Amino acid sequence: MQKEFDVIIIGGGATGAGVARDCALRGIRALLLERFDIATGATGRNHGLLHSGARYAVNDHESAEECIRENMILRRIASHCVEETGGLFISLPEDGLDFQAKFITACRAAGIAAEAIDPKQALRMEPSVNPALIGAVTVPDGSVDPFRLTAANVLDAKLHGAEVLTYQEVSELIMEQGRVVGVRALDRKSGEMREYRARITVNAGGIWGHNIAKKAGVTVNMLPAKGALLIFGHRVNNVVINRCRKPADADILVPGDTISLIGTTSSKVPFDEVDDMYVTADEVDLLLREGMKLAPSLEHTRILRAYAGVRPLVASDDDPSGRSVSRGIVVLDHATRDGVEGFITITGGKLMTYRLMGEWTTDLICKKLGVEAKCTTAERPLPGSRKEERERTEKKIHALPTLQRESSLHRHGDMAERVEATTAAKRSIVCECEEVSVGEVEYAINALEVNNLVDLRRRTRVGMGTCQGELCACRAAGLMAEMGRYCTSRAKQDLAAFINERWKGMAPVAWGDTLRESEFTKWLYGGVCGLTTKKEEE
Amino acid sequence: MRYDSVIIGGGLSGLVCGLRLAKAGKRCVIISAGQSALHFSSGSFDLLGALPSGESVGSPAERVAQLIEQEPSHPYAKIGAEAFVETAEAAKQTLVDAGVRVSGDAAQNHYRLTPMGTLKATWLTLDGYVRSATEEGLEWKNVVVMNAEGFLDFYTQFIVDELRKKGTTCRVCSFSLAALDAIRNNPTEMRSANIARIFDGEECIAQLSEIISREAGDSDAVLLPAFLGINRYDVLDELKRRTGRECAVIATLPPSVPGIRTQIALRRAFERAGGVYMLGDTVAGYDEKDGRIERVYTVNHGDIGFSADEFVLATGSFFSRGLEATREAVIEPLFGVDVEQAASRGEWFERDLFAKQPFESFGVATDGEFRALRGGKPLQNLYVCGAGLSGYNPLTEGCGAGVSMLSAVRVSDNILKR
Amino acid sequence: MKMNTIKETSQNNFEQCIKCTVCTVYCPVAAVNPLYPGPKQSGPDGERLRLKRPEFYDEALKYCLNCKRCEVACPSNVRIGDIIQLARLKHSKKSPGLREFTLANTDLVGSVATLAAPIVNATVALKPMKAIMDAVVKIDHRRTFPKYSQGTFEGWMRKQREAQAAFERQVAFFHGCYVNYNNPPLGKAFVKVMNALGYGVQLLDKEKCCGVALISNGFVKQARRQAKVNLGSIRTAVIERKLPVLATSSTCTFTLRDEYPHLLGLDNADVRDSVELAVRFIYRLLSSGEVQLRFRKDAPKLRVAYHTACHMEKLGWSCYSKELLAMIPSVEMVPLDSQCCGIAGTYGFKKENYATSQAIGEPLFRKIEESGCDVVSTDCETCKWQIEMSTSKRVLHPLEILADALE
Repeated sequence: MQKEFDVIIIGGGATGAGVARDCALRGIRALLLERFDIATGATGRNHGLLHSGARYAVNDHESAEECIRENMILRRIASHCVEETGGLFISLPEDGLDFQAKFITACRAAGIAAEAIDPKQALRMEPSVNPALIGAVTVPDGSVDPFRLTAANVLDAKLHGAEVLTYQEVSELIMEQGRVVGVRALDRKSGEMREYRARITVNAGGIWGHNIAKKAGVTVNMLPAKGALLIFGHRVNNVVINRCRKPADADILVPGDTISLIGTTSSKVPFDEVDDMYVTADEVDLLLREGMKLAPSLEHTRILRAYAGVRPLVASDDDPSGRSVSRGIVVLDHATRDGVEGFITITGGKLMTYRLMGEWTTDLICKKLGVEAKCTTAERPLPGSRKEERERTEKKIHALPTLQRESSLHRHGDMAERVEATTAAKRSIVCECEEVSVGEVEYAINALEVNNLVDLRRRTRVGMGTCQGELCACRAAGLMAEMGRYCTSRAKQDLAAFINERWKGMAPVAWGDTLRESEFTKWLYGGVCGLTTKKEEE
Repeated sequence: MRYDSVIIGGGLSGLVCGLRLAKAGKRCVIISAGQSALHFSSGSFDLLGALPSGESVGSPAERVAQLIEQEPSHPYAKIGAEAFVETAEAAKQTLVDAGVRVSGDAAQNHYRLTPMGTLKATWLTLDGYVRSATEEGLEWKNVVVMNAEGFLDFYTQFIVDELRKKGTTCRVCSFSLAALDAIRNNPTEMRSANIARIFDGEECIAQLSEIISREAGDSDAVLLPAFLGINRYDVLDELKRRTGRECAVIATLPPSVPGIRTQIALRRAFERAGGVYMLGDTVAGYDEKDGRIERVYTVNHGDIGFSADEFVLATGSFFSRGLEATREAVIEPLFGVDVEQAASRGEWFERDLFAKQPFESFGVATDGEFRALRGGKPLQNLYVCGAGLSGYNPLTEGCGAGVSMLSAVRVSDNILKR
Repeated sequence: MKMNTIKETSQNNFEQCIKCTVCTVYCPVAAVNPLYPGPKQSGPDGERLRLKRPEFYDEALKYCLNCKRCEVACPSNVRIGDIIQLARLKHSKKSPGLREFTLANTDLVGSVATLAAPIVNATVALKPMKAIMDAVVKIDHRRTFPKYSQGTFEGWMRKQREAQAAFERQVAFFHGCYVNYNNPPLGKAFVKVMNALGYGVQLLDKEKCCGVALISNGFVKQARRQAKVNLGSIRTAVIERKLPVLATSSTCTFTLRDEYPHLLGLDNADVRDSVELAVRFIYRLLSSGEVQLRFRKDAPKLRVAYHTACHMEKLGWSCYSKELLAMIPSVEMVPLDSQCCGIAGTYGFKKENYATSQAIGEPLFRKIEESGCDVVSTDCETCKWQIEMSTSKRVLHPLEILADALE
C-alpha cells in the first residue's frame, strides 16, 4: 500500500531539506525525493561561508538583511555545523579605501556589525592576511558545513515523520486536470519506476529545477553560472578573509573544518554541462593568483582539489557574469503564476537563507492545505546542536582518545554519543587524515542514509583529508560490504568510482605533492590492488 | 669522499645497480632520501603484462620485440629484444644472490592474487605469496582465508568472492590473539608492520599455528594477509612446519611487510659487498666540468662532497621526488636534465585515473646508453635507471619493476664496460 | 658548485606527507608502546587537526623520544620529529615538575654534583636513595646514574691555556655537560688528538648546556636563553676569531645546528656550518692529506662495535666515526645496524618510560652481545649509559679509542 503524503519535495539540497523539516515540524506529511545523495548540487559546492551579508550590503540591501538574520539564527539552531570565526574585509593598495566607507554604512544599515580596525590589528587577528593591506573591517562572518547542515535537517525531518528517499530521480510529474498530483521517479538503486502522490509538489531542484518545471509545462528561467573553488590542504586562516571591493573573482578565503577554500570564479555555462563540471587550468591559475592577494602563504600551500558548483540564479537580466543577479528568494506558486495547481517552485536564495526559503515555502503549503501551524525552525535547534544534550554527550565520551573525541563532537555535536566506541574494534581508525573511526562509519551507514562511499564522505569526512582516500576508501568499502550495504563486486566498483571522483578534483591541481599523492594512489589501487574501472565481464 | 660510483636513490633500481657494481669491485655509495617504494610492494615484480595496444602478454620474452615496435621510446628498446631475457635473468639473479627469495620466468608470466581477489600477470613473486600458473584460478580447490580481527587493511570477502567465481571453495576465518590486543587498543596502529613485529615472537607463532591447525579443516591451504615476518624470514616456513599445511600470504594495503624485508635484504647485501648506504640525505648540488659530473654535495655532508667516476640517477618518479611537477612543467630537480613531457598542464591527465595517464610516462630523456640528456646532449657519466626514465607506462603495461631492474642491470654493465 | 632546485624547507612542511606510513615502521616507540599514536598521527596528521583547533593536542605526544628516525625514513622529507616537538612545546598543558627540572638542568645539577662527586655518586647509587627518587620524583629506580667526576673539564682546560695557545692553528671546543661534569677524560682525549694534528684547543667564551634536555622537558624559555648565550659565544669564535667550533657529542652538535632554528626559532644560518663534530673535522683534515696521525705499534688489538646514535643517524655522519675507527691499525671495526638504544637523553630516566626504553633497546643489546666485540663505540653519551647499563660491554667514544692508539 502506497503511503500517503501531503507534499512531495523534489531535491535534497539544503532548501529541500529545510522545506521537509519545516513541513514535518508543522505536522505535514512530507516526502523528500533526491536523485542522488543529499547536498550534491550547489549546496555542497560553495564556500561554506556563514555570510554576514556584508558582501551584499552595498548592492542588495534586502539580501544583506536576510543574511544577517539567518546568520544569527544558524548560530543558535545549527551550532555544530557552524564555526564562529569572524570575518575581515580587507582593502589592498590596488583597491583603495573609497569603497570601505560606503561599505560600512551599507552594512550598518542592514544591521550588520561592521567595524573598521587598524590594519596592524587585522594582522594580529589573522596572521595569514596580506600584510600589504591598507584597511580592514570586521564583520560577523563564519563558516558553515553544508553537508552537516543538510544532513541535520534531513535527520530532524525524519525524526518528525517525514520520509526521505535518496537516489530517486523524478522523471515525470503526474498531471490530472491541469494540476500536479504526484511524480513518477526512477529508483536508481533498483532501476524500477515508482509513483508517489501528494496534493502538493515542491520543486526545490536548484539549477535542475529548470527542467523539473518544464515537466509541468511551466517555464522558470534560470541562469547557470559556474563558480570554481580551490581547497587547500590545511587551515591557512582562522578568520574569513574577504576583499573590500565590488564582488569579483576569488575574493573570499574561508576556513572550514580542517581546510581553507578560496572562490569563486563566475562564468556562464550551458545547461548540458551542469551535471559534470570540470575546473580548467585557467580557472585554477586565476583563483590562485587572486587568492595570494588575500593570503600570500597560499602560494606555498598544497591544493587538495578544485571543484565547481552552479549557482541556481533566476535570470532577471542579461548580465553575462551572473553576478548582479539578485540572490533574492523566489517562491513561485504556479497556480497563480501559470494556472497549474499543486505545484510550487522554490529557487534563488542561497545556502544562508535555506531556512527562510523553507519557511516561506511551507507557509504557502500550509495556506494551500489549510494548516494553521506556525513555523518553529528558527527556534528549535537541529539534532547535533542541542545544548543540554551536548553537555551530556561530552561527559559520556570524555575517556575516548583525544583526537577521536574532538573529531566526533565536531562533526556530530550532541549526536556523537551515538558513535559506538566501547570496543577497540569500533575505535579503530578508518580515515587517518580526518580521524574517522569504525564506529563513526557504522553510525553514518546505519543512521544517515549512506549508499556509497561518496555519501559516506559527506557524512563523515572519510577521504576528505590530504590523501583523498588513499587507504581509508578501501577500508570503508570493506566495512560497507561487511555491513551488507552491497556485494563485494559493487563495493569494488564503488571504490574505483570513489577514487575517480577524488581524482576529478585533484587532476586540475595535480602538481607538486598533489601529483605525488595521485601517483601513489594509482600505484596502490591500480597496481597493488589491481583495481580497474573496466566493467567486469559476467 | 671518493668513490668509484655514486648512486643517487636507494630503492629497487639503485640497489640492484649498486649491488652489481659493488660485487664487481667498485667502491659505491648509495645516497637515499628516505625509504623507498619497495615499502609498498605487491610482493611481485612485473616484467611485461600488456602491450601498449592493450593486448595482454603471456610470455614477455616472446612479446618484447612487439612492444619495442609499438613503442620505440620504451626503455626496453634500449636494452634490445635480443639481450632482454639475459638481462632479466641477471636482474633476477641479483635478487636471489642477495637472499631475496623469488621465483618466476621471463619466458612465461604467472599470476599473483591481488587484495581485490583478482589474478594479475607478473614475472617474479616473493616466496610465500599466493600465485597461480594460469589466469583461470588457483591450483588449490579448497582454502581458508584468515585475517586478524580488526585489521582493516585486508578484506577477506573481496578475495573470497572472486576465488569462488574461479572455482575454489573458500572459508573465512577471523582470529584474535591476546598479543594483538595491545596494538588493537591503539586506534591507529593496527597496521601490517606492527602486527608483523608481534608475529616475529616465537610464542605468537606457536599460537597462530594452533589456530591454523584448528581452523584449517580439510582445506588445501591457508591464506593469510602478508603481515608475517618483518625481522625474520622464516615465519611462514615455521607455520607450515608446525601445522603441516600449505600456508601462503596475500598483499595488504601498505606498508608491505615482505617489501620491507626485501629492502632490508638488498641493503644488507649491498653493505656486505662493501657498499656504503646513506639514508635520509638529499643531493643538494654538484660540480660539473666538460659535460662530466665530478662531484655531488648533499644536505647532510655540506662541503664534504662525493666525487666519483660515474654517477647513477635512480631517484624514481614523482612519488620519490625524482621528478618534480611544478605548475608550469615537470623537472628533474637534481641536475636539471631533460624531461620528456606534454607541453601544457592540461595535457598531463586523463579523466579516468585508472586509464593510461600521460604523466606516468614522463621521465628523464636518455641516450642509448641510458645517459641523461641535457639540452639534447648526453652528460658523459650521469646514468639513469629506474622509475625516473621516460617512455613507458609502469602500470598499464605491467612493467614497472622490470624497467627498474633491467635498466639498473644495463647501467651497471655500461659502467663496468668503461 | 651548482645548487639544485629541491626546496629543503617550506612553511607547511607537514603537507609534504603523502600518508605512506613508512615513518611508523621505523618508529622505535610505536613498536613497543601502544599508548603512543605513532609519528604519522602525532606529526603531520595531528598538525592539521591542531591547526583547526588546539583542543586536538594529545598529551600522548610526550612518548615521542625525539630520535628523528621517522625523519630519516620519510621519503617526503617531512620534519616529523620537529612537528611533534613543536606541538609539545606549544600545546602541552602539563607543566614540568621537580623531576623534569633535575633531569633537564644538566649543567646546574652537574656543577653542584661535581663539587661533591664521591658523595653524590655513592648516594644516587644507594638503594634507599633510588627508592626515594623512584617514588617521589618518578625517576626509575632501575636506572644507573652517570657518575660525576671530581673537578670539571673546564677547570682542567684553564690550566692548559698556555700550552694550547702555543699551536699555530686553533679550534674552539663545545665540550657539553657530559664532558665537563661526568667524563673529562673524553675532553682530554679530544685535546690530545687535536694537538697531534697540530691544532690547539680553546674553550668558548661562555658555554651553557646546549639545552636538549630543557627542550624535551618543556623548559623552552630557559632553553632559548641558554641557546642565545651559546650562539653568542659561537659567533665570537667563528666570526671574530675565525675558528671552527667542534664538539664530541652528536646530540649537542645536532641541537646547536638544527634544533636551535627548528624548535627554538633561533636563526643560526651564519654559523651553523662552522659547528661540527670533531670526527668530521678530523676526517676532512686527514683525507686532505695535509696531516697524518702516527699510531702506536704496541696498541692492543681491539674489536670495536660501532653504534650509530639516533642524532648521529639524523646528521648522517656516522661514516666519519666509522672511517676514523677503521683507520686505526689496532682496531677491527664492526658496524652495528643503526637502531635506537631507547634512552633518548632523559626520556629513559622517567619511571613511566623505563619499560619502553628497555624494550626499544633490547634488539641492540642482543646484537652487541652477539658481536663478540671488546668495546662498543658511539658518539652519544646517553647511549653510552644505556648500553653500559644494559649490556656487559664498556662504551668508548671514537676519539677516546683514537687517542689511545696514538703514539
